[in-house]
Amino acid sequence: MKFPLLWSLFLLPPVYGAPAQVDDARKQAGECARCHAIAVVEWAYSKHYEAGTDCKACHGASRGHVADERNNVKPDRLPHQAAIAELCLGCHEKECPKSKKTGSCQDCHHVHALVDPQKQPSTRDERLEQLEARRQRYSQLMQAGDQHVKARKWEAAQSAFRGALREEPRDAAATARLKMCERRIKPGLAGFESVGSTFDEATGLPLRVRVVGLDLPMLLVPGGDYDMGSDQFANAKPVHAVRVEPFYLARHELTLNEWVAIMGSNPGTLPGQNSPQAGQVPVGQVSWNDALMVAQKLNERVDGGGFRLPTEAEWECAARAGGESGEAFDLTAPRAVEQGRPNRLGFFDLAGNMREWCASRMLPYPCRAGDGREASDESGLCVLRGGAYSEPPGWYDPAIRHGERPTRRLPWNGLRLARSIVEKNSLAGSPLANLTRTPRAPVHFPLTQHPGAFVIAE
Amino acid sequence: MKTGDAAKPVEVSLHMKSHPCSEASVTRRDFMRRCGAGLLGAALGATSLAGPAIAEYRRGGMIYRRFGRTDLYLSLLSFGAHTDPADRIRAGSGKTVLTEAGQARRERIMARALDLGVNLFDVYGSEGQWAPAARLFKEKRNKVLISLAHECSPQEVDSACRLFGHVDLYRFCSDSLDARTLETWDLLRRAKEAGKIRAIGISTHAERMMMTALTELEDLDFLFFPYNFIHARGDYSQFLAEAIRRQVGLIAMKPLASGSIVKLDPRVKMRTRPEFETVELWRQNSTPVPFAVVAELTKTLDRLADETLCMAAMRFVYSRPFVSSTIAGMFEDRCLEDNYRALTRYAELKKEETAVLEGASRYASMLGANWLPPHYQWLEKEWRA
Repeated sequence: MKFPLLWSLFLLPPVYGAPAQVDDARKQAGECARCHAIAVVEWAYSKHYEAGTDCKACHGASRGHVADERNNVKPDRLPHQAAIAELCLGCHEKECPKSKKTGSCQDCHHVHALVDPQKQPSTRDERLEQLEARRQRYSQLMQAGDQHVKARKWEAAQSAFRGALREEPRDAAATARLKMCERRIKPGLAGFESVGSTFDEATGLPLRVRVVGLDLPMLLVPGGDYDMGSDQFANAKPVHAVRVEPFYLARHELTLNEWVAIMGSNPGTLPGQNSPQAGQVPVGQVSWNDALMVAQKLNERVDGGGFRLPTEAEWECAARAGGESGEAFDLTAPRAVEQGRPNRLGFFDLAGNMREWCASRMLPYPCRAGDGREASDESGLCVLRGGAYSEPPGWYDPAIRHGERPTRRLPWNGLRLARSIVEKNSLAGSPLANLTRTPRAPVHFPLTQHPGAFVIAE
Repeated sequence: MKTGDAAKPVEVSLHMKSHPCSEASVTRRDFMRRCGAGLLGAALGATSLAGPAIAEYRRGGMIYRRFGRTDLYLSLLSFGAHTDPADRIRAGSGKTVLTEAGQARRERIMARALDLGVNLFDVYGSEGQWAPAARLFKEKRNKVLISLAHECSPQEVDSACRLFGHVDLYRFCSDSLDARTLETWDLLRRAKEAGKIRAIGISTHAERMMMTALTELEDLDFLFFPYNFIHARGDYSQFLAEAIRRQVGLIAMKPLASGSIVKLDPRVKMRTRPEFETVELWRQNSTPVPFAVVAELTKTLDRLADETLCMAAMRFVYSRPFVSSTIAGMFEDRCLEDNYRALTRYAELKKEETAVLEGASRYASMLGANWLPPHYQWLEKEWRA
């Protein structure tokens, strides 16, 4: 076959239709299907697929290529021309029954789609038409739902999204929109009271809340996919994509007053305690264990619990989404909270004042779900993020990681509380009720990458 | 040589015998053989890129050794920070600067050291040397490693970075692990994480602190510790073994015991050089020692035709494979030339040299701590092997 691209055109319709054969092929192709969608579909229609000759058979395991999201590492084998023929000869020892040639398979056969060149592929598929129709109904319902959302008709929108979910049962977008409608119909988070009337359009969660019985303001971090790390700093390499679920993060670092209100006692001599605003100065000399104890105490006290330290992925997400703080520190002692300018999300002092303990252990990047960096039985250094009051502005970057022993107390080590989304109607028997640390890392790689900026509603 | 030898990492183990002059279990020859295997392996493509790094190499007359787990290679002889006390002028608040002539001489010696292949220069801000060193090395910054020791505040690190672009080695002196040490260490780590410093460490004269630093200070890249043929403690083996296991770079300070080893050389002729006037004065005032001891030392020294006691003392430190670099204060051209000449004939210590060092050690012990300057006499009490 001299023009394999022409054959690809015939194969394109099944790509969009995604019949069962292609779905199976995608599953079998595994990680390869994340990027090489067309090649996997070509392979799905080939004799190679039927015979079980997969991507690794010709291209090798290519672990480096799979791990490197930036495509800096090529596959183990990427044969061209004569090398393809050499690979074919590994299995097809005999000559071609039609052309009577050996070692020139690629002259007639597409490298992936080893279809019969004499047989025209079918362009009409009933299942494809059914799928198209279903997809169309789903799109219409989603559009209708969004229009109801704009009109603040939450019940109608809920009904539309529910219908869309019936058409596409595992659709993430429909599930998220339905959840958002449910939250707007029955607002309220356990242990929180809303401040103002601004809600996140994507999640339906209030943007600003306050912990009931404790004047601790917290803000919603909508979450999403972002590029974590930096190639500029040795222990922040490589840059990799992570997904963070929505969560709440305290607007400022935990102050001395808040510490006393939660723990019932003064932590002792702290830097800046002699200033007139001592109660509003963030608490320092805090070890990681102390920080966990604060979260534990708060969980015992507040309905729903769920207070914890942010994971480092969550912290960096909040810092990056908030943009540059523009703050300069370089002080001899910490200053009272909320004195400077907040970042775009409304958080104060992420860049300085106190370094903030995170729930994660200091393990090398990339962050992977279940790699144990947030497991409670892990040992090793714990991560601190942010800058200290004594550091000049050039010492801060949201990607810089700092590790410290969980028992060690230093004047500039403080904490900022985080909380998972704990809803009133999901409290009964919920494992979140007594959660002090995230049991599993909320960070995971999405199937496809969506690097980009966060959208902050209202 | 088998091909497999090349893939093995170069292990530098240490099992010191009781005497300070005794040979380490890994001889110089073994050490070089393994290094040679690594080099040949790399040349033949037998080792992968991720394979063991070369432990040391020679370029010109200078030897360069790998610096712990960092990717730096230090010249075996490096340039000490202290300036000549004779040229110092007080500049207020415990700081000094050099006279114009003294500064010019120092810069000439530093430039000569650079020509000889010395790549590590220790610079003290308190002795007014940051700005002159930055000016001197401005055009050759990529060939020079700058080591600083100062009050480790973020402002100091920033001002050093403004002068030098970045700092290669930054350390502070500490003899105990207190809150201040931990805070300072935390700042240094932060500066390293922010990309302002390449390697961080401490200098200490307390062996307990050496062990503590290895276990308690995270990300410790190097240690400056006193090491010469007299003050090489017999029980160093525990600390050194641990440092090697953790791949912490070791830099030997005081290889000539603050310049006092020259006083132990009976062949130093009186009144021949002005700098020996203090030696003569010391000899007049020091406790008399048995003539036989001096005679024996002179006799063994005479067997070393063109070598001084100081050169043998330097060669003792050079011959230790765990030492990445030997830092010596050099106020005179001849000091630099002698230290360099000792390095160019670098090999295992000869029997005659070992005998000389043993004799000098015995001689020093009879003098008590008097052969050391008053502010270093505690070395004799605490660091005698």
